[in-house]
Amino acid sequence: MNGTRAAIALGNRELIRQTRQPSRIIASIATPLLIWLFIVGGFSRSIGSVAQSDANLAAYTIPGMASLTVMFASIFAAISLIQDRHDGVLRAALVSPAPRWSIAMSKIGAGSILALFQAIMVLLTLPFLGVTITPIGILGAIAGLACISIALIGLGLALAWIVDSSQGFHGIMNALLMPMWLTSGAVFPVENAASWLKAIALVNPLTWTHTAMRSSLGMDTGYSPTIAWIISIVFALFGIILATYAISQSKKSKS
Amino acid sequence: MNAIDLANIKVVYHTRKNGDRVALDNFSLCADNEFLAILGPNGSGKSTLLNVIAQTITPGSGSVLAPTSRKSLSVVFQTPALDQLLTIHENLMVAGALHDLSKAQIKSRIASIASELGLTDRLNDQIRHLSGGLARRADLARALIPHPTVLLLDEPTTGLDIDARRIFWETLDRTRSRLNMTVIMATHITDEAEHADRVLMIRDGQLVREGSPLQLKATLGDRIIRILLESKSDTNEIAEWLNQSAVDHISCNHLILGHHADASLATTCPVESASITIAPPTLEDVYTFYAQSPSVEHMGGELL
Repeated sequence: MNGTRAAIALGNRELIRQTRQPSRIIASIATPLLIWLFIVGGFSRSIGSVAQSDANLAAYTIPGMASLTVMFASIFAAISLIQDRHDGVLRAALVSPAPRWSIAMSKIGAGSILALFQAIMVLLTLPFLGVTITPIGILGAIAGLACISIALIGLGLALAWIVDSSQGFHGIMNALLMPMWLTSGAVFPVENAASWLKAIALVNPLTWTHTAMRSSLGMDTGYSPTIAWIISIVFALFGIILATYAISQSKKSKS
Repeated sequence: MNAIDLANIKVVYHTRKNGDRVALDNFSLCADNEFLAILGPNGSGKSTLLNVIAQTITPGSGSVLAPTSRKSLSVVFQTPALDQLLTIHENLMVAGALHDLSKAQIKSRIASIASELGLTDRLNDQIRHLSGGLARRADLARALIPHPTVLLLDEPTTGLDIDARRIFWETLDRTRSRLNMTVIMATHITDEAEHADRVLMIRDGQLVREGSPLQLKATLGDRIIRILLESKSDTNEIAEWLNQSAVDHISCNHLILGHHADASLATTCPVESASITIAPPTLEDVYTFYAQSPSVEHMGGELL
């Protein structure tokens, strides 16, 4: 049993579920869109021109908004593990001969497809904001977003494996991910930040995925795109390994 | 070789709040091509036993001598393990893929199982739109898709009305005789256990009695006396009377059960307000004697 059939079937199940509850997709896109409108409409004059970037603030923040969209979609994807546990679907998968990694990969795969679909909608606003995007550029941005979604779904699945309540899961994920997103240069250039904030941003993997995405879209970030891509890929691999490890753990009795 | 062969299994749960709790204590079990019911009160270790067989819990000690391949094992849980947003057909496709079956294999099995379980017309209905009984049958179909040789049932008819329960058992009996399955069911409902070839009564993680429903009932003799008291203060008087009549008995709140009772016993009862029934024992009587909660007080003789 290699688990590929199980992973594909479980992933397909996630996609079917989405088509039957479109409110989740709307919620994932609407929140970042509103935040973006507030930031661009309310703060652009006070922030002024964005240093180290050729883009205006509206365009500069779009990759950050796309990553926020991915973040919300990733939380939804990971929380579905808790829902599956409560519905009993997870128990059926766990007692089947399908390897545990197929459960993790189905969630990561299907969750990432949905997250990217939503984030691409956000990225497609760039031409309307004066940014010329090339096919290579958009592919690079999608690759960066894929790294974020894989890493965050993996992190979320590992947490969902040990947390039984969806409210508790939401609380922990928001407490962890919102500061991570806010300090990643999603809505400001890291180069101009206060030194303490800059130090936090530089150890934040999301900063580097944003840097990789902006580089692909032709925005100058002041940091090496190569290093940014390496960190982004390592971040994604970390998510896969973490989720697979967590889900492979079963209950053991004391001897 | 038995389909299931567990020896001296011990499972201990540890919680920070309550410390260690023994869920299964030196428990052994063999089963092959039979319908076995594990009957016991809540918290007696039934579900833990099913988890050990399904290999979702690794026992702390003991040996699973003939581990059942997961490919040939299916579980029907207390509540249907089906995705509410998917149709029956979509759920069954997922179940087949989890057992590494090809799409063609799954579709052919869906057709035959749906026909057997009377689900053919409902295959394209989402689970959330089904009645409880129909969802149960769909869940049984899910468990049968891999053609298991071992089927585990965890209180399978919980929440079903009488008709749905009857249809479930008829369907299971039909399928079991066709597929030659070993069926192991955990339950605390004695009516459910009556369907089994063999019943294992467990309490506090230990086997307390074992046999076919008929054998178990026979351990209480041809007749049992059930005495329902208006007041618990009459318990001692009744106990003394039963002791003098050489009837082993137990007390459970307002109910006193005595076994191997003589039919003439009712006429000599010293408490006029007591409601007395003398009848052949039921499995529920056996369950009350051997597997009820520790609050049951055994008042005469050693029952085991």
